[in-house]
Amino acid sequence: MKSLYNNNSQQASRDNGIAATFRIWIREYQLILNDVGIMIILLAVPLLYPVLYSFIYYPEVVRELPIAVVDLSHSTDSRKFSRNMDATPELLVSANCTSMEEAIELFKQKKVRGIVLIPESYSRDIVMHRPAVISTYADMEFFLYYKALVSGSSFVALQNGRDLQIQRMLDSGVPKTQANISAEPLKVVDNALTNPAGGFASYGIPAALILIIQQTIVLAIGIMAGTSRERHPTGTLIAPDPNRLGTFRLVIGKSSAYFSIYALLSIYMLGLIPMWFGYARNSNFSNLIALITPFLLSSIFMAMSLSVVFQKRESAMMLFIFTSIPCFFLSGLIWPLSNFGPVWLVVRDLFPSSEAMFGFMKMNSLGASIYETRKEIMTLWIQTGVYFLLACSVYAYQVRKSSDLWNRFSNNRINSIRQKINSSKSSSIITD
Amino acid sequence: MKNIHKAILRVSNREVQRIAAGRTYWLSLLVFPLITILFFASLFSQGVPTKMPIAIVDLDHTALSRKYSRAIDVTQLSEVTQYPASAADAMSQLRSGKIYGFVVLPSNMQSDVISGRQPQISFYYHNSLLIAGGLMQNDLMVILNTLSVGTNLQKHLAMGQTEMASMAEIQPIQVQTHQLFNPTSSYMIYVVTIVLPIMMQLFILMMTIYAIGIEIKEKSSRLWFREADKSILVAITGKLLPYTLIFMILMMFQNMVLYRIVQVPMNTSMGWMILGSLLFVLSYQAIGILIIGLLPVMRHALNLGAFYGILALTLCGFSFPVESMPAVFRLWAEAFPVRHFMHIFQGQVLAGFEPRYVISSYIGLLVFLILPFIVLSRLKGAVIYQQFTEDIREKLPVSTNVTIPTEAS
Repeated sequence: MKSLYNNNSQQASRDNGIAATFRIWIREYQLILNDVGIMIILLAVPLLYPVLYSFIYYPEVVRELPIAVVDLSHSTDSRKFSRNMDATPELLVSANCTSMEEAIELFKQKKVRGIVLIPESYSRDIVMHRPAVISTYADMEFFLYYKALVSGSSFVALQNGRDLQIQRMLDSGVPKTQANISAEPLKVVDNALTNPAGGFASYGIPAALILIIQQTIVLAIGIMAGTSRERHPTGTLIAPDPNRLGTFRLVIGKSSAYFSIYALLSIYMLGLIPMWFGYARNSNFSNLIALITPFLLSSIFMAMSLSVVFQKRESAMMLFIFTSIPCFFLSGLIWPLSNFGPVWLVVRDLFPSSEAMFGFMKMNSLGASIYETRKEIMTLWIQTGVYFLLACSVYAYQVRKSSDLWNRFSNNRINSIRQKINSSKSSSIITD
Repeated sequence: MKNIHKAILRVSNREVQRIAAGRTYWLSLLVFPLITILFFASLFSQGVPTKMPIAIVDLDHTALSRKYSRAIDVTQLSEVTQYPASAADAMSQLRSGKIYGFVVLPSNMQSDVISGRQPQISFYYHNSLLIAGGLMQNDLMVILNTLSVGTNLQKHLAMGQTEMASMAEIQPIQVQTHQLFNPTSSYMIYVVTIVLPIMMQLFILMMTIYAIGIEIKEKSSRLWFREADKSILVAITGKLLPYTLIFMILMMFQNMVLYRIVQVPMNTSMGWMILGSLLFVLSYQAIGILIIGLLPVMRHALNLGAFYGILALTLCGFSFPVESMPAVFRLWAEAFPVRHFMHIFQGQVLAGFEPRYVISSYIGLLVFLILPFIVLSRLKGAVIYQQFTEDIREKLPVSTNVTIPTEAS
């Protein structure tokens, strides 16, 4: 708890370390409460964004994708196929076209999102015991459209095919159970672990929640730092006030304020939101605490380390907001980690959100234990340690700067202090 | 007319000097956009993920199960990295994130197939991973079904049927999937071509708000206004012209990376490309003016700009189709130029549709250019009267507890 300033022990007004730390902590709350801009970022964004996103993605999956059917066969079989496709939850046959040209025209006008072509020979092939081929033309704009068309049409083809097979075997006198097995000697069972419906909210929202926490922490602390520099007449991050000139009391006092706020917000964002909107919650409370504690700490210390570069109130917003989207892609939830280049794996480790998003997904959707999430938790603690040391060293530097100012000014008369303040003020405004 | 021309150039000149002097400008105009383009282009450079780690749990240990293991291993997409002894082991490996999926070949698989007892092959995959999950499902389904058909075919052939007849027996109806107007299924095309404009719109928006807002905040707006011969239209045009130019260069660089270096198919002419990019830049500058005009306090305007800019990722309908969203969001989505830009890209550039199919998207972009006129007079007031500045410094002695020592203490 020894700061540089301690050398000047003639300043008897200096509090002891713990009381000063506590005062810095409480003062941070006051500063936050007095600043609308900060309140929006610290409270409105974490409270409202998750709800907004949940409503946007509420439908989760694509249903009733409009498709065109080009039926060149005009047979009972082809009509049955078309009807069965319409009956699937994924597809809606919204147009029956007589030619491929007509269907493509509808596709270009975005009236339909996929085309299914039933060839002229369809019914004949079935009767003649030849494989009948259906062609589907998928819209490649959106992966989810493609997925809906492929899964809808394959399901119908498989279903109709199996019916045909069994019917044929029954016709030739094979008993029913035997026919069933012969149609499919090996059964392939598809098990989606987590998110069986492939719902989009279940992919994106839990990760987005973690990212919102990190980004708002960095923005809030960064804006506070820029504001301090603008507010302090000396243009320094820390006011030249002996009670606040101590590296540890500043780092611990400020981080405690943010940690307490975000501990509460985390309960809302990571506990209540998943409960209200029905996202996967396969993790117990203590496991989540083991993951989220180092995540909050490392984010706060990273934010404090970064905050010294933000010179103005708006700097953090201008210089940091753009990282939100790349950070989302760095998590490994979109593009698989096994296909990351080595450089981006290093960049990924700079942001606590990467491991936290992955770990949170593992715990909540797969029910991974602390042991199975050890890699993520360990990395987050290492980040906490590194960023804590970094925050302390950049704050120590800022403290030294402010102490020097204090020492220079403290022996002067108040008027000459004002004068010096004014001169340093005018010189610190212009430089960006 | 000549005077206006001169005044615009004068203001632009002043702006260029400001840009050259400020660190924030350099970073948000050049360094960060370039890093972003580099990041996305290199992250997705493979197009489709390969060699994703999976496991096979072989409980059978017969010729048949080994044949299946080998066949799964040689697929492009996945690589078998582990052979755990039980499904529980494999599940634990999956939870730790070491593998993305696994296949369980049941015990007695071979003998069950021969005796017609229909054994079950199960595959499990991690469906919280957006790209890996979907691909894993498709790939494993296809390979396992192919293997299953192959096994079935052998049985039929052994019974003396011809291959054609056997195939018709096994798969009476086959589906061939064609990808309309996009021959490759590369994620570079799905993701990067849309994410890069989304990143770019964020930079344009924030920069526009900042360029105007900083004048109001630092009370230099009257100097700026005087330079523009006291015309707000000239002032804004002159100020934003350098940015239009810089962002156009960035857009064309981005297009070059996409269509020349990573070879996204481009089925339209250069002229349309430039027109689309220009309208994109201008419409976001227009929205920037609207935001700073509505909220002349810069940091609030920046908050709003960031909120709107980040939301574009969701509401442009690239991650999740807008048509499947609740009605209110379907309307809201139209208020994002990047959505119209995306339609132009998908229709005209990628699929090569005739311009008439995307003309409504061009008109959509043009509509945004009307927006600044709504707030012009309000912005003019803010520039002249500077009534929207927050002066936090003046309040200093009251709000902070700086105890300035005097000699008496």
